[in-house]
Amino acid sequence: MTTFDPQMLISGQYHDMLVAGLKMSLQYLFYGFWIALPLGLVIALCRLSPYKPLRAFGTGYVEVVRSIPLLAQMLFWYFGVPEMLPQGVKEALYEGPVESICAVVALGVYTAAYMAEDIRSGIRAVPSVQMEAARSLGLSYMRAMRLVILPQAFRLTVPPLISQTLNLWKGTSIATVIGAAEMMYQAGQVESQSFRSFEAFAFVSVAYLGVSLIITGIANWFQHRWPVRTM
Amino acid sequence: MKIRLLAAATIASLTMVCGMAHADQLSDIKKKGELVVGVLGTDEPLSFIDPKTRELVGYDVDMGRAVAQKLGVKPVFKQITLAARIPELQQGRIDLLAASLTHNKEREGQIDFSLTTFITGQKVMVKANNPIKDVPELAGKRVATAKGSSMEVNIKKAVPTANVISFDTSPQALVAMQQGKAVAFVNDEMSLVRAMVELGDKRTEYKILPANISVEPLALGIRKGEAEFKKVVDETLRELESSGKAENLYEHWFGQKSSLKMGKRSFKIDSDKIDE
Repeated sequence: MTTFDPQMLISGQYHDMLVAGLKMSLQYLFYGFWIALPLGLVIALCRLSPYKPLRAFGTGYVEVVRSIPLLAQMLFWYFGVPEMLPQGVKEALYEGPVESICAVVALGVYTAAYMAEDIRSGIRAVPSVQMEAARSLGLSYMRAMRLVILPQAFRLTVPPLISQTLNLWKGTSIATVIGAAEMMYQAGQVESQSFRSFEAFAFVSVAYLGVSLIITGIANWFQHRWPVRTM
Repeated sequence: MKIRLLAAATIASLTMVCGMAHADQLSDIKKKGELVVGVLGTDEPLSFIDPKTRELVGYDVDMGRAVAQKLGVKPVFKQITLAARIPELQQGRIDLLAASLTHNKEREGQIDFSLTTFITGQKVMVKANNPIKDVPELAGKRVATAKGSSMEVNIKKAVPTANVISFDTSPQALVAMQQGKAVAFVNDEMSLVRAMVELGDKRTEYKILPANISVEPLALGIRKGEAEFKKVVDETLRELESSGKAENLYEHWFGQKSSLKMGKRSFKIDSDKIDE
């Protein structure tokens, strides 16, 4: 019977590996978020656009991306997409941290589809008279969107966006399938080197939980600081 | 005081019951009437799905069948992943591992091993136009392997500065190397030879470096402390060897009749000792 050995998680080689994995997962979260949020906003605006081709593009994006598992998309972005790039770009990419780049892109593109839906529902929750009033004051459609609608929609959208950020955070673990050295990958490495599955996955669970609670904490603070205004 | 005695007695009797329940896996298997054998199912020719018959076949599978036959029970094959195979055995979800399992010292602390059933070496595959001629030249280079494998550990031992990237399966690691995401692909020689066969006309674009990064004795895995069961497994293997069936199995899966066309068998199934 083996016992739980917290020592290996506090210091030493395995500790270093797991902490390095945690740092990399946090980086994926950070970069993935900054791809997902702007892209999600663009897609949401496309879906609400008065122009039919843009609407079709937005709908197509959301439906396609939402319907395919993140795991499949991760493999696609890693094994498929780079091969379609021009030779020079491909070689430059393969010189660098290709696993991490592909993982971040896959995570960003995937989460953007969900964020787009949340942003869209937030925008649609702003009464249409707001748009009419803004347009009657002489603002263009885009200016009305930017100055009147989006700021109101943003407060409504924060809770679901936080939920998507949590999903993004957990989704970083899928990058282990493409050999990206994030936290799950490192836990697997520690497991296969030390045969200590329980310790490695306990560390991982606590780390995912901890970061998730921090994100939730930020969300609560935000909602308290900038509550939704009654309209 | 009384409570303490009672507790002690309870613990003692519980240990005995548990001890008894675990004392003989062999009789458990016979009672069940089936032997659950863990196989990978993705590692031709050790265990794989025959594309024509859609059935699980291979060298490991035949070994599992032989043990079940010896016991007079039905073999039940369960596909498991490379990384999960040892925990699956330890937790009793399978009785016997026949899963491309390398017998090494590190693992001896975790599980027991049967007689060595196959000996292969681990080698490195690179693109033919790559100037790399020997294993030490992989220093600082990206090397692809399978997760949870002994290759992962051995390449790190052979070239500590290599940047090892591990994938869920060996084929994925091979594709990563073919696409240029890694310079080299590490696997056991047998699998590399098979990969070369599958590459067909493209095989001239790749080369296998001559040096072994390790010698790999493969064996069947048995839960720790199941001496009776291990005895039966080893007896089965000895009988296969003495009757010449083991030689036939080698010829069938690896030799000139197979697609691998590997040379004559250079080992005998007669020992469970490993070097190092």
